[in-house]
Amino acid sequence: MNIPKPDKGTAVTRRAFLKSTGAGVALTVIAPSFLLSGQARGAGLNTGAPTDVPGVATQRIDGLAKVTGQKVYARDFSAADMAGWPDNQWHAMYLRALTTDQAFEGVDLSSLPPQAQPARVVLGNELSQALRAPKVAFARDLHVDERIAEEIAKTKRRATGDDDGSFNLPPDVVFDLIVVPGNIPNFLGQAVALLLFDSLAAYRSAKSAIEFNDKAFQIYGSGLQDGPPLGEAFSPTTTYVKFGDEFSYATADPSTYMDQVPGYQSKIQQTLDSDPNLIRQPFATDMQAMDPMFMEPEAGLVWVDGASGTINVVLGTQSPDGDISNIMSMYDSDDAPFHLQAVNLTSCYPGGGFGGRDSSPFSLMLALAGAYSGGNPVRLSYDRFEQFRVGLKRHGAVLSGEVAVDSDMSLQAIQMNLTFDGGGRRNLSPYVASLGALCAGGSYAVPMANIFGEAKHTQNISGGSQRGFGGPQAFFAIETALDDIAAAQNWDPMDLRRANIVAEGGATVVGGPVEQSLRLAEMLDLAKDHPLWANRAALKTEYTVEGQTQYGTGIAMSLQAYGTSGDGMVASVLLNRDGTITVQSDAVDMGNGSATTLGVAVGPILGTNAAQVDMGAYTLFGMTGLSTDDSTGQGWDNPHWTAKSVGSSSACLTALHQVHTVRQTADALFQGAILTAATNIWGVSPLTAGDVAWQDGALVLNAGGVTPLSLAQLAGEIYAAGLPYGALGHAYFQNTWAEASFPTPAGLLPLQLDGLSFYLPGGTDPVFAERQNTTGPDDASKRYARYVWAPCVNVVGLTVDVSSGNVQIENVLSVLNAGHIHVPQLVSGQSQGGVAMAISYTLLEDMPPGMDGPANGTWNLNQYHIARAGDVPLVDGYTPGQRGQQLVTLADLPGSPPIGRGIAEAVMCSIPPAISNALRDATGVRFASLPITPEKILGGLGQ
Amino acid sequence: MTISLTVNGVAYQIDDSRADDKLVDFLHEDLNLTGTKFCCGIGVCRACTVQVSKPPNPATTPMISCSTALGILDGSVVSTIESVAQDGVLDEVQQAFLDNFSFQCGYCTPGFVMASRMFLDDLRAQPVPADQLEDAMMAAIGSHICRCTGYVRYFEALRPLAEAANTGQEGQR
Repeated sequence: MNIPKPDKGTAVTRRAFLKSTGAGVALTVIAPSFLLSGQARGAGLNTGAPTDVPGVATQRIDGLAKVTGQKVYARDFSAADMAGWPDNQWHAMYLRALTTDQAFEGVDLSSLPPQAQPARVVLGNELSQALRAPKVAFARDLHVDERIAEEIAKTKRRATGDDDGSFNLPPDVVFDLIVVPGNIPNFLGQAVALLLFDSLAAYRSAKSAIEFNDKAFQIYGSGLQDGPPLGEAFSPTTTYVKFGDEFSYATADPSTYMDQVPGYQSKIQQTLDSDPNLIRQPFATDMQAMDPMFMEPEAGLVWVDGASGTINVVLGTQSPDGDISNIMSMYDSDDAPFHLQAVNLTSCYPGGGFGGRDSSPFSLMLALAGAYSGGNPVRLSYDRFEQFRVGLKRHGAVLSGEVAVDSDMSLQAIQMNLTFDGGGRRNLSPYVASLGALCAGGSYAVPMANIFGEAKHTQNISGGSQRGFGGPQAFFAIETALDDIAAAQNWDPMDLRRANIVAEGGATVVGGPVEQSLRLAEMLDLAKDHPLWANRAALKTEYTVEGQTQYGTGIAMSLQAYGTSGDGMVASVLLNRDGTITVQSDAVDMGNGSATTLGVAVGPILGTNAAQVDMGAYTLFGMTGLSTDDSTGQGWDNPHWTAKSVGSSSACLTALHQVHTVRQTADALFQGAILTAATNIWGVSPLTAGDVAWQDGALVLNAGGVTPLSLAQLAGEIYAAGLPYGALGHAYFQNTWAEASFPTPAGLLPLQLDGLSFYLPGGTDPVFAERQNTTGPDDASKRYARYVWAPCVNVVGLTVDVSSGNVQIENVLSVLNAGHIHVPQLVSGQSQGGVAMAISYTLLEDMPPGMDGPANGTWNLNQYHIARAGDVPLVDGYTPGQRGQQLVTLADLPGSPPIGRGIAEAVMCSIPPAISNALRDATGVRFASLPITPEKILGGLGQ
Repeated sequence: MTISLTVNGVAYQIDDSRADDKLVDFLHEDLNLTGTKFCCGIGVCRACTVQVSKPPNPATTPMISCSTALGILDGSVVSTIESVAQDGVLDEVQQAFLDNFSFQCGYCTPGFVMASRMFLDDLRAQPVPADQLEDAMMAAIGSHICRCTGYVRYFEALRPLAEAANTGQEGQR
């Protein structure tokens, strides 16, 4: 394979103007040209005719750049790499709060040697209000956002004395980025000072002196508590109470739902108490926080060019939309140090994410540093100790409750309290708690539910949207509780689950309908017949060494939702003059393979895979002509309105949401322009899609009699005739897709899009195509919370060394409903990665809260153990006697459309309870506290 | 006094006042060779693995560049990921990792590539009994951390290369 030589500098790919509180701010997204050079050749997609099968990927589109060590991550760049930037790069370091008991009074850097002195020290009292406490907006779930809006209204009423609510913080306010001297820090690791160094040598020297010795440079005394006391819940909390078909969150009047909740909670209790034959299984589980431990510690560059009012940022983030908006809010205020006119973002591939780069505070800390470097570029580059100290975590959690089952195995009620440790800075914790509450219902149809989820403000490191988003904690609780019931009743745990699975036509604990085929029964049957489960008794005998090794088998299942309660996506598909295809998407590829998948998604429609895929193109939405402002109240009748623009990227949004958007947009280009071009060239009557087919990259007329047309020929006609050479589509999904008809050169075209524009030759901005006959999701469905699911059944076989407490995972079977699989290797890789991460979470990753944990700044991989190859079954498949993992995916149902399901964390979510259940099978002891360390196992075994 | 160091075929003379500087920082800051990745900084994850030899001994050793001081590298020859592909053509390990979708975010990949290449060289020089090959692979790359893909696909990619190198049948694969 020949490798293209990287170009120098950068290339502007997109520009848009965003509205701010003041005038419009020009936003430009820049892709490092190194990436473009790798993509332009269609890495992995067009490597040669024999493998150039439309819709099939032979390797990752970003693979070539990554496997050859090209600059693709934010950490790879310095100011010298950036075209037009000054070379004199500064370096930033934040000192971090060491206590939440005493007031921070200041810093004393006198013991730093001269060569380590910073060029600038910034304390919290020097910051303007907008810089110190920017109004950071979080938006994820529409139904939660509505409750937040209600909390804001309450807060305002309280301010005017009309309301005595106890909520702690207005939702758009977070704690100070840098603690004001005299105030008590709100959480451990909160910045107390910004040190800026004008040379790398000084930075390194200071770092060497300060790291692991913070105490020597910070002064504490008594002072004022700034913000709410620890232990308050971040608003909003989530309550899901369901009482048969009579009452639920989804079906009740939102304005009276919470008022009715206490009455129905009483009814549930009365119903349960009135049946003495019910089997009532209490449970209590807990788990520590977990570090995403993405491989690239957060890093980035910022250069504030005050003269032109421009902020230039180099960043690798999962949430460029929110991050840039929040950065703008820091500088777009009356007390800002300069008038913001433009933001230039160089968007890099993140070196892993798992949610840890979704709305991360890092982008704010980077942008803040840029304001104090005297116009010089600044690099903020965490090392692993800092990343552990301040990076977003999967929430530690405590879950307890009760499951009630009839003697005929029929599940009657699930009651659960989920308390997540939200840590210090409010992040996405309330949303995580909300989804966790939904996941508490597991994969089951249950008549009664009483579930409460909350995330509390503590002194600990902030929790964020890490992989699974509350699911891992909730599934662990419900799946271990069910297993305990089965064990106590001597029921087959597979049969107990089989008796209660939810199916199409059923409802979740939220009360929302399940309108998608889940195929859970089929999946359980596959698992039950698999030798890892069917032969478990024989395997136990085979593996057991009396007094030394015990063997157990565990099953658990999960019903992980993908997407949120309302998702907007945008994509463009362009036919270049040379006949190649470019796809642009607002999505970010954290490594999950979105770029590759979107590149092949257009193949069957356009006859070839994309040669170039640009990710992170969130400025695309600004060019759609759409807005979420519904001031006229027309809703879907307003052709310029949509319910949601775009959101943060998560791996689970690719297979359905992003692929759909790209496909529909490609279809608009095909039917709206390419068919017209073919009609012109062939001189035939207007064509429909059914009249033609792609063969070997050429468009052929099914009726024959004309010469097949290459994409280059079609492009030639399109550009010559002034036909659209590209389409820009926006889609919105909320249980159903918004649909409309759009005017095209070929006539009115019905699409499952709510926005469409066309790129015309010679034009700069796409031209808006006004939609007609629009139908959009009804407003009520957003309270279903989730609509689509990627179920998984996991079976784990493991051995326990009873003398050491060590656990070895011998085999894993994962039966997954991934829907239609776009790129099998990517699905398999996501599954295998999920298995490894889940084993690590369950058995290895041990992170205490408080100053005993990474908040003390001394934690790294020597203390925090991540699963390595030896911890994971490495054989791909199941072979008795070998350590392997087998992924079984369901074949598409006959006649079903090729629609995928977002499976990013689907396999991972039910591995932890399957391990705990296998341990119970092996030892007879329930281990309900994660991580399940050898010490806990020995303790459980009484040793 | 200076430290003599060759990186990817280019000789450098470094003032010995920098003897305590880490190799990865030298690669990044002085040479702008950022393909070698910084992850943990304490030599645990092995993402920063480079190949080092000390002539006249041709034997190569995987070196943790985040924890290796320049001072101990005097007279050494260092090869990084940027040197692996020759004349624009990928090395067999790189190609195998690509073909097998072995990585996702790719941040650990350069370290896996460098360690795997040295492992194959070692097998060619000193084959191991077939029933020990899996253990040998584990010894070579089993300590490297990958957070995304769960290791299986790295091993799947490397296994046939290792079998061929171990049996001297590389041209016959």
